[in-house]
Amino acid sequence: MKPPPPSLPSLIAVIDVGTHKTVALVGQLIDGKARMLSYSERRTDGVVKGTVTDLEKLQRCVHEVVNDVERGAGRALAEIYLSMSGPAAEGERVKGIISVPAADGRVTRQDLFDAVASAKRLEPPAGRATILYMRQPTILDNRPVVNPVGMTGRRLEVLFWRVTMDEANLRLRVGMVNAMSMMLRDFILASHAAACAVATEAEKQGGVLLIDMGAGTTDWILYYKEHILCAGSIPVGGEHITNDLSVGLRVSRETAEDLKQRFASAVHRDTDLNQTIWKDGDRGLGDQQFNRGTITKVSSLRYQETLDFVRKDVLRQLDQIFPDHPTKLDQHLLPSGVILTGGSANLQDAAEAVQLVLGLPARVGVPAFEVESFRKPEYAGVVGMMTAAITDAPPPRRRPTGFLATLRDLFRF
Amino acid sequence: MERAPAILLVGLGGAGCAMVARLAPGLPADVQVLRVDTDARLVADGGPGAALQVGRAQTRGMGTGGEPALGAVAAEAEEAALRRAFTGVPLVVLVTGLGGGTGSGAASVVARLAAEAGATVLAFATMPFSHEGERRMRQANEGAVALGQKAHGLVFVHNDLLLQQVSTEAPLSESFAAADAWVGGALRALAAAFEPGALVPVDPAALRGILASPGSPTLFAYGVGAGPGAALQAARAAGSCPLAHAPGAVTKVAALFVAVAGGPALTSADAFEAVGAVRLRFGGETTTLLCARIDPALGDRVEVSVLGASLPAPKPAPKPKKGAKAVDAGQPLFGFATEETLRRGQFGGTPMTFIEGQDVDVPTYIRKAVRLPAG
Repeated sequence: MKPPPPSLPSLIAVIDVGTHKTVALVGQLIDGKARMLSYSERRTDGVVKGTVTDLEKLQRCVHEVVNDVERGAGRALAEIYLSMSGPAAEGERVKGIISVPAADGRVTRQDLFDAVASAKRLEPPAGRATILYMRQPTILDNRPVVNPVGMTGRRLEVLFWRVTMDEANLRLRVGMVNAMSMMLRDFILASHAAACAVATEAEKQGGVLLIDMGAGTTDWILYYKEHILCAGSIPVGGEHITNDLSVGLRVSRETAEDLKQRFASAVHRDTDLNQTIWKDGDRGLGDQQFNRGTITKVSSLRYQETLDFVRKDVLRQLDQIFPDHPTKLDQHLLPSGVILTGGSANLQDAAEAVQLVLGLPARVGVPAFEVESFRKPEYAGVVGMMTAAITDAPPPRRRPTGFLATLRDLFRF
Repeated sequence: MERAPAILLVGLGGAGCAMVARLAPGLPADVQVLRVDTDARLVADGGPGAALQVGRAQTRGMGTGGEPALGAVAAEAEEAALRRAFTGVPLVVLVTGLGGGTGSGAASVVARLAAEAGATVLAFATMPFSHEGERRMRQANEGAVALGQKAHGLVFVHNDLLLQQVSTEAPLSESFAAADAWVGGALRALAAAFEPGALVPVDPAALRGILASPGSPTLFAYGVGAGPGAALQAARAAGSCPLAHAPGAVTKVAALFVAVAGGPALTSADAFEAVGAVRLRFGGETTTLLCARIDPALGDRVEVSVLGASLPAPKPAPKPKKGAKAVDAGQPLFGFATEETLRRGQFGGTPMTFIEGQDVDVPTYIRKAVRLPAG
């Protein structure tokens, strides 16, 4: 028999489509580790508040990014991973329960499969499709266990965090990828990806809340005992701070964005009122003067309100999971506190605002990455997608080989 | 036959009738009042002026239960009576609260009937508090767009804004008093302008020239000053009137109507100084209609009211070509900024996002009624 042709190492391509920017990374899997091959970043068009409003514009933007990374990697991409965030993706907890059939109560592999099957049999709500299941602890007779096989008990519960997506939205995304003659390998939950990049295993083990505040949406995810306990999304993001400043100060969106980056803060202090700042700084024609207190007042109100929405959303979901005990967001549940990622984590005093609103210590999560310019909180999502793609999904299949694939590689650069 | 009043003040719906009832005692003689509502109790309780119950067949005197479609049908059913009431009136001031059923639904119908009867229609519409929830805000926005297309001038009074006017400990009634003062000031100024005895009288047709294009954002500001330098003080107060500072409100207009009223001590120098200050703040390069009036009751106080519209009257529509679809005359010829897009900034036009019944695209400081530091 002829040996299979020596194939190139598999490529892993991840694309994070955000409200503000679209970033693509391509890595090569060598000995279980990803080595970066190329990356590209462009301003996203056609997405407002995390919802696609103009498909053609978005498609053009994603296409450009894909072309860039293909050129950088020197190869055509066969399949990609796409990020998923915002209100389009919704999560819920699904449960499969069986009573252990064996007379001695010993759990077999088959029992575990049955429980998993019964959990996955639950239909998603009408008009929504299941995107992914994320494992939560298995519970045997009300005790969480790591692996129940071989243990004895009566009642076996398996829990999953199930993410569903609106079918129309799903078709739109799959169609967009297929239109570029690529396969959509899988979706990766953006907040989970960010956690892969910035949270340590120890932090996830203890309990940590990650808040990823991007331009259009704020996604949060809570880890407890290593598993995803719950996740959610608030349709408010950094663009809202910009918009509030633009309405409140009566300046253009661009000026508001610039003022936000230079002077806004997540915490308003009375001393800000004594500071007068200039729009351009050259005091030339068209330069404007603002009270810094006005800027920090507007930005801190919005930022803290959004954190408060997150706090209420987390508590609401925790109440559903533990209906018997009222849960509190405290050091007991989350000893590792809060990690902030996303562009809005750059806001001044963001961590202090979390301490004020949630009463938990917070830090800004910066991903460790070989490219210097990606070591910023706004790139935690896309960097983490690479890790999540390797660890969560089974190792990538070999690229399709054969005449047609070779031909396609020849003609696509 | 009785002479038609110069101004007909129409209170529409529960909120509108309540405001008219509060205003009525202090109104000039030349302003007549008409209260229009679907709720029989409000109509029958013998408030000021004439009353008209609409929608007797549809609601049987029970109110609309917050259903704008019912409000619109109710007003259309009383078309004949409404037309009769508007005949011969040069100026109709319509006061209504948007968000509920009667105000949101019937306002555009009443404004259309008044405009068709030949009156200039100036509407003051209150917008619901952010905390009143998604449905009322949506109904208010829809009602505002419909009303804006029919009324010649439309001024929004945001309830959220009223909360910012008073200290946090003040009783609720005090915050509504601010709205009453604004609308009352406008009415007194307009009434006085048409009175034959005014120092500088204004012709209702000229006022209409300022407000001529339905759909263009309307500017309204009101300020009071007292003591020495009262006129300039009042003009400055008008310049910082919250109505003119509401997010999205018009800042510069081409055509202005400025009314200055004061006690016997008001000098022409004072009056023109005030007008100059107002023009510096609001523009009015094309036309500035002046009106000055002496009212002994004001003593040493001076009132300044400003009304304006930013866009000139649209050119008459070109004759439709043969076979072409007829253009509805009430249709605006240009896209105009609605109240919604102005308050929501760049998110205007996108679907509203509600959390806890609040539209979160509206800036937090507006919804929480936080007054921003000046400057």
